[in-house]
Amino acid sequence: MLQYMTARLAGLFVLGCFISSCSRPENLSIAGSTTVLPVISVAAERYQLANPGLSILVNAGGSGVGVNQLGNGAIDIGMISRNITIDEIASYPDVNFIVHAIGKDAVVPVVSSEIHAAGVTALSLGNIASIYLGEIQNWRELGGPDRDILVVDKEQSRGTRHVFMEAVMGDEEALAPGADLVLGSNNEEQTAIVQSDSAIGMLSHAWLNDDVVGLSVILGDGSIIEPTLANIINDSYPITRDLLLVTNGQPQDFAADFIAFIFSTEGQTIVEENGYVALDR
Amino acid sequence: MAMSRWTDNFGYGFIVTGTVLCSALIILIILVVGLYSLEAVSRIGIDLFTLEWNPGRNRFGIIPMLYGSVAVTSIAMLIAVPLGLLAAIFSAEMLPRRLRNPVKAFLELLAGIPSIIYGLLGIVLLGVWLADLFDLSSGRVILTGGLLLAIMVLPTLISLADDALRNVPDRYRESGKSLGLYPYQVIAKIVLPAARADLTGAILLALGRALGETMAVMLVIGGIDRIPQPFVNILSPGQTITSKLGRELAEAAFGSLHFSALITMGLILLVSVLLFTGISLHYFKPQQRLYE
Repeated sequence: MLQYMTARLAGLFVLGCFISSCSRPENLSIAGSTTVLPVISVAAERYQLANPGLSILVNAGGSGVGVNQLGNGAIDIGMISRNITIDEIASYPDVNFIVHAIGKDAVVPVVSSEIHAAGVTALSLGNIASIYLGEIQNWRELGGPDRDILVVDKEQSRGTRHVFMEAVMGDEEALAPGADLVLGSNNEEQTAIVQSDSAIGMLSHAWLNDDVVGLSVILGDGSIIEPTLANIINDSYPITRDLLLVTNGQPQDFAADFIAFIFSTEGQTIVEENGYVALDR
Repeated sequence: MAMSRWTDNFGYGFIVTGTVLCSALIILIILVVGLYSLEAVSRIGIDLFTLEWNPGRNRFGIIPMLYGSVAVTSIAMLIAVPLGLLAAIFSAEMLPRRLRNPVKAFLELLAGIPSIIYGLLGIVLLGVWLADLFDLSSGRVILTGGLLLAIMVLPTLISLADDALRNVPDRYRESGKSLGLYPYQVIAKIVLPAARADLTGAILLALGRALGETMAVMLVIGGIDRIPQPFVNILSPGQTITSKLGRELAEAAFGSLHFSALITMGLILLVSVLLFTGISLHYFKPQQRLYE
């Protein structure tokens, strides 16, 4: 026990104290995926209005951070936008990870608006894999302008990357030797793609806009599926995922109540307002 | 009388406690970092010094990060040291005394700006300018990191170097002038050599800050664990030890080999800063000052 405490104290010391995890029940700390984050921040705001005694702390960091901080006991609820890996489960033998799906999302291959305007509007998963493997390096080879492709990858433990790589390469932790930049959050990825005129990246559906345009995916049978909400709802878009909350064991007290709030009609409306698909759709 | 003895003792105790606590803290940091890097050092060993970093496949090569840290710090120091010393000479030797303090105050204000702000400016301004200038597809390159660091360490460097020059007693300058030396001769032949030890201290402090800076570099460097081809191509994205730690430390399971490998990089950084400090203590003893 003492050893555990020392290790923990030292660990917190090394990490520079990310979040002070208070054991008082009126505090709820949540961290993880930047895809799930917008939903949970809004939900936390509304929930706190209705429950003035409670304070909810919501932090970003990515799915990997959500799993690890829950594993370390630093937070009460982790946000993840992918499945927990076998390695992660093995790293925390004492933690009983229980996931709660709160909505659905798609991971969309995105390009700079200049590339989309120049005619690259749909790619097959094989094309995308070739780009990330470094086999295709110029947009000319895909019917675009004669410009080198800026391949934007994400950090290894990010949820969006796991889902994307699983769909494109068949391995959630596939290497991407063709990558030029490795970034973190959805916001960071979005900024890099907006700033470039020749970038390709991967983003949650809710982050698409006029400057960061989602590509349609060409399926094996030649049909072209656009990244629209309708196609995500009817499951025809090939790269979809659940937005998840994860707790250690069944949630208790405020955590249980907060998760129930997200499942409620009001909570599910927040999911939809943020550009995701609600559970009952 | 009794009161003054009490305050004396209190003050003495306070200073001693503070000193002991600070030294203990440094020793604790070294111990903890050393302890957590043991696993990586013993299990990965010499394979740490390879090129591939992929925790999923148990590859922990830290050469790209070492390269990035050295490259970014070198660029920053190459720009900041000459510029900082010249600026300090200007503010200490040429600027009228009534202007010197406001100038210093602004510089110190610059030094106090949080590094994340520099990082954001680096992304939206510096990176974009460099991308335009060199026709790059992305401004997140090693050069951006180096330039940003140079800007960040300049205020500290100028302010400390200015103090160092000001510490040289005026009678030295007056003697020089009375011998008929030109002003630039007074600066180059008298003031600079006399302040050498303190100037080196200022440079080393700036170097330490450049090596250890995390947020700003992390945002602008591109985050890819790769040495550019050819390796002097600083217009390619890269990764430094600190940016790697900033991006991955929270994602690594506490106590895992991955975690340990990251901490080992931290240890290398810590040891190199200690080494620089040791060298400066050894070669630039305060006794070498001509004035005390």
